[in-house]
Amino acid sequence: MNKEKINKLLNRVPIHVVIVATLIIWIVPTVGLLVTSLRPPEAVRATGWWTVLASQDASGPYTQSCAECHGADGAALPQADLTDPELVAKYPRSLQLLAMLRKDINGQPHMGERPIPSAQEAADIAAYLMKGNQTEARFTMNNYIDALVGYRGDNTYRADCAAGTQPPDLKCNLSDILNPRGMGRAFVNSLLVTIPATIIPILFAALAGYAFAWLDFKGRFLLFAILVGLQVVPLQMTLVPISRFYAQAGLNGTFLGVWLFHTGFGMPYAIYLMRNFLGTLPRDLFESAYLDGASHWTAFRQLVIPLAMPAIASLGIFQFLWVWNDLLVALVFLGGTTPVMTYQISNMVTSLGSGWQVLTAAAFLSMLLPMIVFFSLQRYFVRGMLAGAVKG
Amino acid sequence: MKKTLWQLLGLLVVSAMFLAACGPKATEMPATTEMPAMTEAPTSAIDCMGAKSGDEISMLYQWSGTEEAALNQILKPLVDACGIVLKPESTRDQALLDTRVQAGTPPDVAFWQVAQLVQYKDKLKAMDTLGANSGNYSAFFLDPVTVDGKWLGLPIKADVKSIIWYSPANFEALGYTVPTTWDELDALVEKMAADGNVPWSMGMESGDATGWTGSDFIQDIMLVQQGPDFVLGLIDGSVSYDDAGVKQAYETYGKWAMDPKYTVGGAQGTLSTPFLEAIYKPFADPAEAMMVKQSGFAGAEIAKQFPALKQGTDYDFFVVPGIQGLQGSIEPMMAFNDTPAVRALVAYLSSDLGGANWAAATFGLSPNNGATGHYTDPALAKLGDAIANTKGFTPDLGDTIPGGFGSAEFKGISSFVNGGDLATILSDLAAAQKQGLNP
Repeated sequence: MNKEKINKLLNRVPIHVVIVATLIIWIVPTVGLLVTSLRPPEAVRATGWWTVLASQDASGPYTQSCAECHGADGAALPQADLTDPELVAKYPRSLQLLAMLRKDINGQPHMGERPIPSAQEAADIAAYLMKGNQTEARFTMNNYIDALVGYRGDNTYRADCAAGTQPPDLKCNLSDILNPRGMGRAFVNSLLVTIPATIIPILFAALAGYAFAWLDFKGRFLLFAILVGLQVVPLQMTLVPISRFYAQAGLNGTFLGVWLFHTGFGMPYAIYLMRNFLGTLPRDLFESAYLDGASHWTAFRQLVIPLAMPAIASLGIFQFLWVWNDLLVALVFLGGTTPVMTYQISNMVTSLGSGWQVLTAAAFLSMLLPMIVFFSLQRYFVRGMLAGAVKG
Repeated sequence: MKKTLWQLLGLLVVSAMFLAACGPKATEMPATTEMPAMTEAPTSAIDCMGAKSGDEISMLYQWSGTEEAALNQILKPLVDACGIVLKPESTRDQALLDTRVQAGTPPDVAFWQVAQLVQYKDKLKAMDTLGANSGNYSAFFLDPVTVDGKWLGLPIKADVKSIIWYSPANFEALGYTVPTTWDELDALVEKMAADGNVPWSMGMESGDATGWTGSDFIQDIMLVQQGPDFVLGLIDGSVSYDDAGVKQAYETYGKWAMDPKYTVGGAQGTLSTPFLEAIYKPFADPAEAMMVKQSGFAGAEIAKQFPALKQGTDYDFFVVPGIQGLQGSIEPMMAFNDTPAVRALVAYLSSDLGGANWAAATFGLSPNNGATGHYTDPALAKLGDAIANTKGFTPDLGDTIPGGFGSAEFKGISSFVNGGDLATILSDLAAAQKQGLNP
């Protein structure tokens, strides 16, 4: 290899290190969530997700400290048979076990020449003797099932149903998937909120963008400036007045109310982006169309929409993700009557924060659809983002 | 091709609207399955107060997860007997309650904090006009929920904060005994530290509310050193928060909370250990600490985390030694609307049966006297006895003083543990206390 090539390679190293490091920082928490969502609750409570692939052989400390005298199975000494559950139950934890190990037996130290095990080792030995070397399942789908049906008990849905002790709102049959407290039902509600709340503002924005770009009317720049300026109104400020208005109009707790709200707050940006995109289209194109006798409507339908597809798609992605991930608007205007996924996720854990393994599963369920949308439309993403940025 | 895309989009919109229109609207709680524990209660004891089958109650509360399941179980007899439809909403975002109330569409009932009784005193319906049974509540439970002489909140759930959890098995193995006076506790802590065992697990990380565990601890120390009148004085403003008695309590607390000899991880451990993790530490094997001062709810958390441990031998609690009265919290239920269904709910929850069912659901303590003797969880039963026998019940300072004093107090305690200047912190908090009490 010549010198130049090596230099080139070395020059690239810092960039690659930065890229890989950023990638790891971004991905590790997500991987942790995913692993946790697949682990049984007892394991989640006991150990961190990174231990999931560690060896589960619990006999290590026992073999090291005790097996020589007590035998590999613990039954070698008849006067101290470690397979006897009654004897073992006297030393359930490290403190009791250590106190016993420090005592002399017939004038000799219990451990002889060997070192007394550390507190952690003693704890492992005690746990091993109490439980044996049985390995538990590392992965389970229970968290996903619990999240889907909205199970809110201390156990798991499947275990509770098998024992017949399920919470009163569950029936342990297929209808549970539509339980109002579950993610299954919330998925449907989220779709019902998101699809119209994505399509309606984009449709209006495309029409308005065309008007601002190609129709000549008085005060259009002023109007456009006001519209763009309206983007600074924080939606939190309008919650109370709009909620009050909705109460009079009977729109509280209805899908229509949420669609209108998202349409109102999604439009300024959408119009801004559409106008800038449509403004970059060549004027000749429209002039020749008008000369051929095309009305504005025909031009819009047959010229603008096909040409603006990249902008529409990218707007669609943004608006879809925004509405899908929105908690505040859904909480205020739909609340618990027609819960969406974000609402359900926020209510999976108790107010003290326990039971969060179900939350991880619920979070992944809600990620599924946005990921599908993103990957199927991602080639529009960059194109569309640049659409508003470099104006001709 | 573009045409098909448009048709497809149109179809999606139309079908979404169609589904939205036809889909079931309300969250109903189907209540058909039998709950073995609850069926013994005679439904005839429930007074429906004229509520008809199908009447709805909208409820707003902060409980979720397993807590919601417990509440459902408690309310099930009422739902079965009267056919009331519950429309619950769960959030820990107070902005939702405020928005709903300001928009003129409050929930029928809200289970929130005592401070909201003051905030919404003009909008709430008085409990006695709704048919609540005051005979089932001790006077010290009714005081905090009475505003300007009106009984505005039904004490629905209580917790005792002035208790210390420990492992009797570990105490026995190491030769420690449960202290009966504050001096004995102090001596025990010193003895543990000298033995190389960390006495306390004081972790208090809790997101925005980091510090609340410390505020409970400090208030308990005040109750030991100064007594309940001092704390009540802080609440009504007759004692300023920069009083020497407050300073003394902070110093007693800081000596333990900032030293790795006395608490797991020293000051940094106190600030960064989540409070739930801190509860587990004395009961892990090997134990990382000997004691944790935490409210009654800790018992249920320990039982969940360590299913093999038994209450009484592996984990147990003692009341903070030398304390005068108990520190506790009350969660009130408040009613914004007066409907037959709300009356039925109030009557049920304040009845003997409501108290007994609350106790049986293992969902914290019920202030209702009807709960006595019905706790199925031994730790709760022991706590219930402590409540039944206490002479006084002091509410939490932070929960009671309105106007953001609570979160200011949490932040002040965090910065104190982080090495901040105590005199400055206390004078800032005294200002927040004055502002909260005289806005």
